[in-house]
Amino acid sequence: MVRISIPPSWRGRLARYRLVATRCKDCNRTLYPPANVCRACGSRNVEQVELINEKARLITWTVIYNVMDGFEDRRPVILGILETLESKVKILAPLTDVLPEELHQGMIMEPVLRRIYEEGEAGLIHYGVAYRPVLKSE
Amino acid sequence: MSPEDRVGIVGWGSYIPRWRLSLKEIAEVWGFSPEQPEELGVVEKSVAGVDEDAITMGWEAARNALKRAGVNPREIGAVWFGTESKPYAVKPSATVIAEALGITPRAMATDWEFACRAASEAIRVSIGVVASGLVKYTLVIGSDTAQANPGDILEFTASSAATALVIGPREESAAYFEASATFVTDTPDFWRREGAKYPLHGEAFTGEPAYFKHIVGAVKLLFEKTGLKPEDFDYAIFHQPNGTFPLRVARMLGFPKEKVLPGLVTPQIGNSYNSSALIGLSKVLDSAKPGQRILLAPFGSGAGADAFSIVVTDKVLEKQNKAPKVEDYLKRRTLIPYAMYAKYRRLIHRIV
Repeated sequence: MVRISIPPSWRGRLARYRLVATRCKDCNRTLYPPANVCRACGSRNVEQVELINEKARLITWTVIYNVMDGFEDRRPVILGILETLESKVKILAPLTDVLPEELHQGMIMEPVLRRIYEEGEAGLIHYGVAYRPVLKSE
Repeated sequence: MSPEDRVGIVGWGSYIPRWRLSLKEIAEVWGFSPEQPEELGVVEKSVAGVDEDAITMGWEAARNALKRAGVNPREIGAVWFGTESKPYAVKPSATVIAEALGITPRAMATDWEFACRAASEAIRVSIGVVASGLVKYTLVIGSDTAQANPGDILEFTASSAATALVIGPREESAAYFEASATFVTDTPDFWRREGAKYPLHGEAFTGEPAYFKHIVGAVKLLFEKTGLKPEDFDYAIFHQPNGTFPLRVARMLGFPKEKVLPGLVTPQIGNSYNSSALIGLSKVLDSAKPGQRILLAPFGSGAGADAFSIVVTDKVLEKQNKAPKVEDYLKRRTLIPYAMYAKYRRLIHRIV
């Protein structure tokens, strides 16, 4: 079991809970995780946006059987790389409510708030976004 | 004009996890009679996944309620979270949800506890604070990953689900409150001591002196206050600890079962505690028609019950399709074996 330092985890909570990202007003790219400087063009002319309301397309995934300490009850852990449908941002996130054999490339998924990691029985519970297959196509 | 008259349900929403456990399997594992599930009137119960808890389920229900409400989260003046399965004993669940939904920091946020009716009392208090003008909207969430001692009769029904309501001005509401009443006494029918992992209960004592007495008491108070009769209601939704109690209490009060069945979800997912009666309301609102009148009567052990008379407005129609319905979650179901349920709900003790 690993204890995560509280200050950086706390500072990152909005990025984890609401997928707060930054959009560069100069080159129009959206960056996740958020940054004060655009990683594409170096501009500081950036604004905050939220990606929590965007569905995403599954690009690729991996099924992990040899998990880190503290993840044994979630084995196998499935991690995916997804691209959000509108802002075209690539996000690395756990996949949930899905069995490995149900996954396919291009699958439309949606972000949901889940327990990402917990520090044993007495420590903090870290919440964040995982992606699951869309409940209902709208 | 009563305070209730000025206040209504601006948005509603629910959440049910994907996983289900057949009650037949619980009967097999623990050697109960094969007829036990039928006697309880429940076929399957919903099981929260390994990365879910009352907070994550409450978040999704609240998100659905906010979609239907169509209000800016920053206008929510209070987030009131009713649960008896708090992920933290000390550290509010309500603040996690409020932060995750963009409601913070200018809002009240608290967890409420009264067994299965904590969220119901939060609805009554919401009526007061909205009618008084103290806040414009409240967000009330009832969410539970209900626990039961493995092998206890309670294990058949203790399930997981969440329901949320955005409560606000009547003019914006899909349904408004007409009247409400509460009936409480000190009755030891079900409890969980500090530090105890599972609750205990008084077996048959949970029926007559607890569930039936308090619901009948609250509903009769409502009838006295308003002059309304069972014939005036289109739907009757009671706390649903199993599939039979709601039908029995309906008979005692003079409601035909046809008015109860549309809001009876327990046979399919079990008893979701703080979401138990509220998910019935959510399901009824998903397809209700303007002008219909709903009786809502949640119950909580310890013990108390509330009764609300709720009248559906024209606005219900434009809100019904703005978020997933209870039926959508009922359809998304995958059966898992008892061993998987035991792992998901942490019934297997591991050293971590």
